Amino acid sequence: MADNEEFISEFLIEASENLDQLDQDLVALEKNPHDPDRLASIFRTIHTIKGTCGFFGFTKLSNLSHHGEHLLGLLRDGKLHFDEQMASLLLELVDAIRTFLTAIESTGKEGDAAFPDLCQKMDATCLLAADPQNNQTEECLASPSSSTNQSNQPDDRTTSTPEEQPVVSTTSNHPAEADKLAPVASPDILSRSGSTRSNNTFDATIRVDVQLLDTIVDLVGELVLARNQLRTTATNEPALLDAVNRIHTVTGELQEVAMKTRMAPIDQLFNKFPRIVRDVAAACDKKVNLHIDGSDTELDRTLIEKIRDPLTHLIRNAIDHGIESKDMRSVAGKSTSGEISLRAFQESGQVTIEVSDDGAGISVDAVCKKAVEKGLVTEDAASAMSDERIFQFIFEPGFSTANAVTDISGRGVGMDVVRTNIESIGGTIDISSQRGVGTIVRVRIPLTLAIIPALIISSGGERLAIPQPYIQELVSLRKNGTTHIIDGLEGAPVLRLRDRLIPVVYLDRWLGLRDWEKRPTSGTVVVVKVDNHEFGLVVDAVTTSENQHSHATETTGLSFIVVKAISSLLAPMGIYSGATVMGDGSVVLILDLRGITMAADIPALTRRAGDLQSTSEEPSEVVQESSRYLVCETHNGHRVAVPLNQVQRLENFLESEIDPAADSRFVKRNGELTQLIDPDQVLHTSKELGKEPTGSLVGIILPNELGNKAIAVRRIIDIETGHGPLEKTATKRGLLGTLLVGDSATEVMDIVSASQWSEENPLS
Amino acid sequence: MNMPEERMDRKRCCTFLIENTCFAVEADNVTEVLQRGVINNVPLASPAVSGLLNLRGRIIPAIDLRIFLEFPAAPPSIKQISLIVDINNEWYCFLVDKLLDVKAYDPHQVTPPTNDSSSVLTGVLPDTDQLIHFLSPEKILKSLLNIRTESLSVG
Repeated sequence: MADNEEFISEFLIEASENLDQLDQDLVALEKNPHDPDRLASIFRTIHTIKGTCGFFGFTKLSNLSHHGEHLLGLLRDGKLHFDEQMASLLLELVDAIRTFLTAIESTGKEGDAAFPDLCQKMDATCLLAADPQNNQTEECLASPSSSTNQSNQPDDRTTSTPEEQPVVSTTSNHPAEADKLAPVASPDILSRSGSTRSNNTFDATIRVDVQLLDTIVDLVGELVLARNQLRTTATNEPALLDAVNRIHTVTGELQEVAMKTRMAPIDQLFNKFPRIVRDVAAACDKKVNLHIDGSDTELDRTLIEKIRDPLTHLIRNAIDHGIESKDMRSVAGKSTSGEISLRAFQESGQVTIEVSDDGAGISVDAVCKKAVEKGLVTEDAASAMSDERIFQFIFEPGFSTANAVTDISGRGVGMDVVRTNIESIGGTIDISSQRGVGTIVRVRIPLTLAIIPALIISSGGERLAIPQPYIQELVSLRKNGTTHIIDGLEGAPVLRLRDRLIPVVYLDRWLGLRDWEKRPTSGTVVVVKVDNHEFGLVVDAVTTSENQHSHATETTGLSFIVVKAISSLLAPMGIYSGATVMGDGSVVLILDLRGITMAADIPALTRRAGDLQSTSEEPSEVVQESSRYLVCETHNGHRVAVPLNQVQRLENFLESEIDPAADSRFVKRNGELTQLIDPDQVLHTSKELGKEPTGSLVGIILPNELGNKAIAVRRIIDIETGHGPLEKTATKRGLLGTLLVGDSATEVMDIVSASQWSEENPLS
Repeated sequence: MNMPEERMDRKRCCTFLIENTCFAVEADNVTEVLQRGVINNVPLASPAVSGLLNLRGRIIPAIDLRIFLEFPAAPPSIKQISLIVDINNEWYCFLVDKLLDVKAYDPHQVTPPTNDSSSVLTGVLPDTDQLIHFLSPEKILKSLLNIRTESLSVG
C-alpha cells in the first residue's frame, strides 16, 4: 500500500507537470494548428494519464481521459480541425483532469465530479468528424461507437480492466499509427518514461526533495557562521591560520553553490501566462499576443511563488483595461490584436520583470485629478511631480473606483495589494505610460530573501538591522548643523528634511531601551519609506560591521546578512522580521519596518506633521527632485555636484581594492566589475595644495542604464538644494553647468556625457 | 518514545531547581543542557523572554523560568543552566538554577494539583525528600503568547 502511495504521488507530480505543458502546447497549437509533433505529444500525455489511472483504479478520470484521447486521435489523424473552439474544449479537459488530480492529492480518492457534460461535448465533436467526409464512414463508425460504449457504462470499468483495449481498436483501424503508438502502449512504467517530453537534461538532473535542499542551505548557513566565528578568533599559529583560510574559501564557495540550489528559472511561472492571457482575452473579447522574454532568468524559488499573484493581476489588468477593444484599436490605427510583453532580466543583484502593453495608456491628468480629489496631494505639489511619481498614486488603497476604471483605463483595481505583495518581499514597482502608446509596469525584486543587504545600527546599546530596500537616506544630526528635529503638534517630534516635515521615532525610547528627558542632539536619522509613508528612525550610530559577503561595503555599514526566522514566540510581536548572526556569534534582530509603521502609527504622525507644515509660517517651498544635488569633493579638492536623482547609491572603497585592469580602473562589487570615473580627469581640474591621497574613496554608483559605473570622489560633502536656474557654461565636456548650490557656485556634472567620456577614454 | 517495551509505563523526567524548589519537564523533549551562554536582548518582548541565543547557528529564544514563575530574578551568584527543549520542532531554551537529575517515574503517581487545565503546572510527584513539580513547556509557551497579545492590545 505504501508503495502504491509512492507511485501515486509520483504520478501526481508528473501529471501536473505534463498538464502545465499541455496548457502551453494547446495555446501554441491554436496559433499554429499544423504542428503534428505537438499534437502527438498532447495525445501521448493524455494517453499516459489514462493508462496510469486505469492502473490505480481511478475509473472516472480514466474514462474522461479516454474521451479526450479519442478526440485527440481524430485530430492527429486530420479527421478534425484544430480551431479555437477545439482549444477551449481541450483546455476544459485539462482543467477537469486537474480537478481530479487535486482531489486525489488531498483525499487519495478521485472524488465525485464526473464531468458528463464535457464527455458529451467531446463525443459530439468527435461525431463531427463523420459529417464532412462521408467516404470515411468506416473509421467514424468504429471510433465513436467504442467511445459511446464507454460513456454509457463508465462504472462497469474496474481496475483490472486493461486500458489497452480501446487503443488497440483504434490501432487496428489505422495501421499507420501503430508505430507511433508502440512506445505508449507498452507497460505502464515504460510508457511514462516514454511520454516524458523530450528533455536533453534528463541525465543531468534528478528530482530532489525541496526540504532536503533547504536543509542543506540552512546547514551551510551555520557553517558560514561557524567560519566567521573561527576567523574572529585571533590566532598566531600559522598552520591553523592556513587551515582557517582554506575553510574560509571553501565555505564561501559552498555557500554560493548552496544558494544556487534555491534558484529556479522564472519560466516555471511564465509558462502559466499564455493560458491566462488566452482565457482573459477571450473573456474580454479581445485579441492579444503575448511575448515572453528572459524566461531563463533565475531567482529564489520561494520568490517565484510570491510574485505569481501580483504578476497575474498585472497581466489581467493589462488585457482588461490596458488593451483597447478591437474597434477602438482600429479607430486608433493600431492592429486589432494587442501586444503584451513579459520580460525578465537580472540587473545588479535584482530581477526586473516588465509587463508592457501597447494599449491606451494612462492619463497622467486623470490620475492627478483623482489624487487631488482624494486629498492625497495638493494641486500645487502635484504639478511639480514627475509622471512616475504621480502614477505611484495608483497604488494607494482604494484609489481606483468603478468610475476611475473608465477614466484612467482601469489600472489600480487591487493595485495596492499588488504593491504590498511586492514590497513585502523587498521589491519595488513603478509605472510608466504614454497616452495612446501603452503602459509599462516594472517590478523589481531581490534575487533572494535568504541573504539581504541591511544596515546595522546601534541604539540604546543594542545592535539592530534595517533592510536596505526601505532606506531612503541617512541624515546626521549635528549640534549646530542645519538638520534638526523639532517638536511637532502634541509633542510628536518631526524632522525638517529640506522642504518637508517627516515624523521621527526615537528607536531607543520606542523600544524601551532608554529613556531621557531632553532629546539627544547627536545621532543619525535613518529615513525610511514604507508604502509611501516616509519617516525617520533616530539611532545612535550606524555601525561599521564585519562583512560576510564582500569587502567592498565594509566601511559603509551595509552588510549582506543571512536571514534566519525568529521563533513563533517572537514573530507575532510584528516588529522583527527575522534575525541574523554576526561574525562574533551574537544575534542581531532585523526590524520589520512595515510592522513598526503600524505599531508606531506612522500614518497618523504623518498627517500631524502635514498639519504642522500647512500651519507653519514659512512658505513651504516645492522642490523638484531634479534640483537636489549631491555635493562632493574630488581627489584634486575640486567641488562638484551630481544631480541626486541620478545617484543610485554610495559605496566606500579602499584604494587598495581598486583593480588597475589593462586599460581602466575597476573595483569589484557584488562579484561584478564597476568602472570608476574620475571627475578630475573628465573636467581637467588641477590639483589643489594639501590634497594628498587618503587611501579610500567614495563611489557614486550611477544608474544601471549607464552600465556598471561609479564616479570616484574623495568625500561627500552634503545634499543641497540648488537655487535658481542652471547656468549653462557648458562647452566643457561632462559638465551640465554651474549652479549656486548652498552659497557657492558649484559645477554640476553631466552624468550621461561623463559616462560616455569614460567609454571613449578608458585609461583614466 | 524508543524506550524498551517493558518500561512503557515508566517515563523519564528531567528535574531541576529554581529558588530551591524542584521542578521537572519530560526528558524526551530535552535535547541538550548547557551553561548559560550569551543571550541577546529582544526589546519589547515579555519580561520572561530573556532574549535570543545562538546555538550553533540556530537562533533560539531563551525563557527565564524564574521570571516566568514570578520568582525574583537570579542573583549573580547563580550560574544559570540552559535546558534546550524541543516544542513542536522548534527549539526553546529554559533558564534554570541548577540541573538535578534525569529520573524514571510512574506517570500514574503524578497527581494534578489543580483543575485549571491552562495551568503550566501539570502535576506533582512526591519524591524522597521533596515534591517534584511538573511543568508543561507547551503551556508555558502558550501562556507567553497570551501575555503578549494582552499587553499589545492594551498598549
